[in-house]
Amino acid sequence: MDVDKDMKVLVVDDFATMRRIIKNLLKQGEYKNITEAEDGVEALKILKSEKVDLIISDWNMPNMTGLELLKAVRADSELSSLPFLMVTAESLKDNIVMAVKEGVSNYIVKPFTAEVLSEKIEKIIEKM
Amino acid sequence: MKEYDSLMNLIDSIASDFLFFDSKEIDVPAAGNFLNKLEQLIKEAEALEADRLKRVASGLSSLLEKIILERIEDKEAGFGVFEKGITLMQEIGDSLKNTGGYEGDIESFMESIAVLTGEQGAESGEQIAESEEQVAESKEQGAESDEIQDESLLRDFIVEGLEYIDEIEVNLLNLEQDPENLDCVNAIFRPFHSIKGVAGFLNLEAIRDLAHTLENLLDKVRNKELLVSSRLIDIILDGSDVLKAIIVKLKDDMEGNPTEPLEIDTSTLKKRIESIEQGAPDTVEVKKLGEILVEDGAITEENLEQGLEVAEQSIPPKKIGEALISEGKVTPKQVSQALRKQTKKAVDTAVVRVNIKKLDDLIDMVGELVITQSMIRQNSFILSNSDIRLSRDVSRLSSITSELQRTSTSLRMVPIKQTFQRMSRLVRDLSRDAGKHVGVVTEGEDTEIDRNMVEEIYNPLVHMVRNAVDHGIDSSEERIKAGKPEKGMVRLKAFHRGGNVVIEISDDGKGLDRDVILKKAVEKELIDSSDDLSDQDIYKLIFSAGFSTAAKVTDISGRGVGMDVVKQAVEKLRGKIEIDSVINEGSTFALGFPLTMAIIDGMIVRVGGERYIIPTTAIRQLLRPKEESYNNIVGKGETINVMGNLLPLVRLYKIFGIEPEHENPWEAIVVVLEGENRSKCLLVDEILGEEEVVIKSLGESLKSSKGVSGGAIMGDGNVGLILDPEGLFELSESLG
Repeated sequence: MDVDKDMKVLVVDDFATMRRIIKNLLKQGEYKNITEAEDGVEALKILKSEKVDLIISDWNMPNMTGLELLKAVRADSELSSLPFLMVTAESLKDNIVMAVKEGVSNYIVKPFTAEVLSEKIEKIIEKM
Repeated sequence: MKEYDSLMNLIDSIASDFLFFDSKEIDVPAAGNFLNKLEQLIKEAEALEADRLKRVASGLSSLLEKIILERIEDKEAGFGVFEKGITLMQEIGDSLKNTGGYEGDIESFMESIAVLTGEQGAESGEQIAESEEQVAESKEQGAESDEIQDESLLRDFIVEGLEYIDEIEVNLLNLEQDPENLDCVNAIFRPFHSIKGVAGFLNLEAIRDLAHTLENLLDKVRNKELLVSSRLIDIILDGSDVLKAIIVKLKDDMEGNPTEPLEIDTSTLKKRIESIEQGAPDTVEVKKLGEILVEDGAITEENLEQGLEVAEQSIPPKKIGEALISEGKVTPKQVSQALRKQTKKAVDTAVVRVNIKKLDDLIDMVGELVITQSMIRQNSFILSNSDIRLSRDVSRLSSITSELQRTSTSLRMVPIKQTFQRMSRLVRDLSRDAGKHVGVVTEGEDTEIDRNMVEEIYNPLVHMVRNAVDHGIDSSEERIKAGKPEKGMVRLKAFHRGGNVVIEISDDGKGLDRDVILKKAVEKELIDSSDDLSDQDIYKLIFSAGFSTAAKVTDISGRGVGMDVVKQAVEKLRGKIEIDSVINEGSTFALGFPLTMAIIDGMIVRVGGERYIIPTTAIRQLLRPKEESYNNIVGKGETINVMGNLLPLVRLYKIFGIEPEHENPWEAIVVVLEGENRSKCLLVDEILGEEEVVIKSLGESLKSSKGVSGGAIMGDGNVGLILDPEGLFELSESLG
């Protein structure tokens, strides 16, 4: 199945360098329509004002964690089915079960390659 | 039986969901749905005491979790067992519904789950293999994807990483104040975690490994496996120092200043980490709320001990804060203040990083813009023009420029917080080296100073803090003998006074010994024994170059190593130092600096044909005195009675040698000026107005002119001199 490469991807991470890395990897997979937020609070603001097709969020962030963002998104009737890819690290992978119970679309473990990222996105979109 | 209906419905819905489940590839949201349903099933089974059903459901739940986390190699086999489990649950459910019980055997099924998920030992082995695989993968990826490993990315990482480490230090100090605050632990864990994550992508092995080790250590604290002790904080501080060194080294290499190969002894650090991870938790060193209260002077050590006893003996046990309140030793307010002090967190703010050079250029150019704008406004053509629109546009231009100037200047202002935190860290390290017990209190951390001053004041501050700890604070024995708490205190305080920012460094040590300083100064022939000097003047002697080098004096006076260097550095910034000291109670060194090095609000005054600018912040009052309020007392000099106070009169024209328009104060204007610790009346001919002026340096040759702090280009394009009140006072005193 073809994935629409023009879809809008929201990258959420408090570490600016990490946002750049994810953006670069997305661009390698030919996703060009990217917007970013530095935490869950900012992400929610963007989601209120722009149409986003996929969220890629870090778990571990100040103010609002990725899990809290996921819960807020799922609780919002307009966003409840929005694809949500959670980024995590090997050391914190076990926590992912909590996100799975909250309806995360998929997860990805740092560090990852552009191929793995594209694969995960394709899987999410296919299942929609 | 009816009570099993809902249970059956749940099992059936799990079974029908499974029909649509893709058993080759894990579908995460569907798996989440299963987990939630299984969780509910477990709850209901528990309520109905259907123990076997509960065990099967729990087994399936953990099996599915392992599949989701990719901890099971043969997924298809996993799903096969999962399917069997659902059938088994249906069987149990049916039996429960029909007979109220289930006699079948589930052990062989549970065994098949155990085989798949593996015993504990086998599982962790698998995990290790997996993480090794991860490392291998990251190596491979680091090598092949040049696109994400570009230089600017690395540069970003260095800047952001160093910022994160600063944040870690700040939060570590907060954690030490409040060891039980999980938010603090998280605030330290998070940056290590982020650094590790990015380092993994950028293939920076050393950084990744160290950040990972430290992160693990903090995770143990988070999970209450380790207690926060000063030993732990030491290790994490040292760890972040090493991390910083590696990143700085990376930066130097990138900037093409190859430095000596870094010899990082991570092995000792790793050993220390291992030992703290295994060793028994060291509760004695943990810092508690009670200690903070003692530091604050709210209670004494004895109060604390009694309070602790009360807290332990109470049923149920009370917290120390509650116990002290109920004993009437402290007010709830004091406790909440101490608590707040502990939990004060680093404020997260959204920021844009700008090269400081660009910022300086911007502020300079805005300064020029303000002057040009002001010249246009005062141009005779503009002043005499009758075009309303032009007038309106010109006044709009000036309001925009002054707003622009305000904003651009504020860009360079930063809170003093970070400087203070660096000092707190310094006190901590110094006191440990000196074997003294010294605490730090900071006040006014949000006070803002010019970014360019931060670095300039750093060295003088370090010097003074070092002196306070090394020489100011007395030894524990001396302190106990003098009836003081064993723990010494260094207090750092910042605030705004007038147009100045004042930074105070106080200690509760033995104070300066007036007589010893005096004796040494006479010996060194710095003063004459017959000189009548105030305490202030005597203390200031320690700033004399020849004075401070004598180590013997230093030991006795408790102060003095390189104080002349401090004084020079402070004066270079147009700052002043004041000393206050009480023997056996401690000393306070107050450094006053102008708020910003760029602009001042000035009052333009005229004396004869000359114009001067007086910093508005130094002006207390403007007045034309009555003839009868003028006095000339022999030996005391000329004074003006300002609201009952006799203030000395300073005739500006005499100091600068100009011909004034008026010589009688009641015909001229008197400006009441505030100096450091006194006020005087400055005699001028006329007040011309108020203006914001951009300070321009007078150049090397005029820099040392007393009474003048700089020059400024005024609105009409002419240059005016900016007066320095304190300098003028000193000049007037030397003129007699």
